Amino acid sequence: MIRALGASYRYPGEGQVVAPVDLAIHASDVTALFGPNGSGKTTLGKLLAGILKPTSGRVEILGEDTRTLSLGRIGQRLGYLFQEPDRQIFTARVDEELALAQRLRGVPEDDVLGRVEEMLDRFRLEHLRDAFPFDLSRGEKQRLALAAIMINRPPFLVLDEPTTALDVVRKAELSALLSQATEGGVGMLIISHDRSFVARHATRILELSRGEIVDDYSVR
Amino acid sequence: MTTPFVKGDYDPRSKLVLVLGLSSLAVVFDYPRILLPLALATVLCALYLRSGVLGSLVRMRRLLWVFLAMGIIQSVFTRGGQPLVELAGVALVTTTGLERGVSIILRIFIILVSAGIMTTSNPRDIIQGLYQWRIPYELAFMVAVAVRFLPLMREEAEDTLTALQLRGVRLEELPLRTRIRTYGYLLTPLIAGVLARARQMSLSVEMRGFRAYPRRTSHRTLVLDGRDYLLMIIALLLVSGAFVAHFRPGPL
Ligand SMILES: Nc1ncnc2c1ncn2[C@@H]1O[C@H](COP(=O)(O)OP(=O)(O)OP(=O)(O)O)[C@@H](O)[C@H]1O
Ligand SMILES: [Mg+2]
Repeated sequence: MIRALGASYRYPGEGQVVAPVDLAIHASDVTALFGPNGSGKTTLGKLLAGILKPTSGRVEILGEDTRTLSLGRIGQRLGYLFQEPDRQIFTARVDEELALAQRLRGVPEDDVLGRVEEMLDRFRLEHLRDAFPFDLSRGEKQRLALAAIMINRPPFLVLDEPTTALDVVRKAELSALLSQATEGGVGMLIISHDRSFVARHATRILELSRGEIVDDYSVR
Repeated sequence: MTTPFVKGDYDPRSKLVLVLGLSSLAVVFDYPRILLPLALATVLCALYLRSGVLGSLVRMRRLLWVFLAMGIIQSVFTRGGQPLVELAGVALVTTTGLERGVSIILRIFIILVSAGIMTTSNPRDIIQGLYQWRIPYELAFMVAVAVRFLPLMREEAEDTLTALQLRGVRLEELPLRTRIRTYGYLLTPLIAGVLARARQMSLSVEMRGFRAYPRRTSHRTLVLDGRDYLLMIIALLLVSGAFVAHFRPGPL
């Protein structure tokens, strides 16, 4: 799915954040990226998802160099959930938010409406259908953002800290949603420092420390 | 670039006068004959005050597209004047249209570059300077906050644009009209973000005893010196120059 070949990253004017890494991520796995704050998880995740272009080396998504892929085309190959939910909400209503990308992608209106209903139901957002997304709680916003990504049915998901704002019940619900997606054949890269959550889903664990992968092992 | 004096930075107040002068001129006048020299003056001022002109433009690069689109739309949809580009007998771009388009781009350019000048002062000094001019502290505080949040808003707008495209929206392939409407969606999170931050900030500021005393005392005092007055005089000359040029049409 994703291949890194000696890929490294540094922010302009900063030191190296991700050391050169060789890595292959498979869509058949649920890969967890693990590490302390500031170890470069988000940066590596963005690098692998093609949002950041490597300073040296290269990253391929389905065999294509991320340097030649526009963000829009990357978005058709994978879905990316940002750590910060506020910056990925665009509209003034929950149901519009779900429909937005579908409409812009030219999906027929009937299909869009059907999928919106399906997502509202699956993510338990029906009662919030006409709510103003920015007034939702952080957990609800995150659920909405995830639903707005899943509605596009990406074959692969990159999730940056999907559990941070969730209470126990919500976490269990998210777990169920993700399991459902995995059973449907969706591969995932989950960035998290929640060990128990990771243990429930991951088939492979990458441990990151100061921008270097220090451990890489399969579970189950 | 070398500085002529060893003393530190210019007083934020003189910069503010300059920036306010430049940006209000960009708002008041809407034709290239004045905007073009004004843009040049803005660039010179920014370079002199060591505000990275190119830097602010490079950082804005992803949004420059939006501004360019606004310019093109203005050019195409404004009628009047002589036709410049004709297609099957229909004037596509007219002289007036082109003038409007260029003006829009110049105005935005001037406002962005001059706003960049303010970010070279630290927010504390801006508040202090304005307070010494007997401008109510709350107001001064708001100005400083606005200056502080400018780069943050840019970053946010860019992140949002990234997030939208990552939902598989191939912006580069959308028809122009849809694409421009799409840029409108960036405003929602931007405004919501600003409001949320303002709310949060006023709360935390009150909890720290902001306005607890009617007068503020400060260890730091800012002093305007010769160079600062010179800068303000330049601002004044620019403003009056623009008005003179406006009321006396003809070659400059
Ligand atoms: N836009 C940026 N510009 C410069 N440096 C950055 C930027 N974003 C992150 N960094 C730096 O890169 C390093 C790694 O950051 P990153 O966000 O990838 O860590 P993380 O493991 O995701 O942390 P967290 O657990 O807090 O989410 C940090 O030292 C951070 O300061
Ligand atoms: Mg992170």
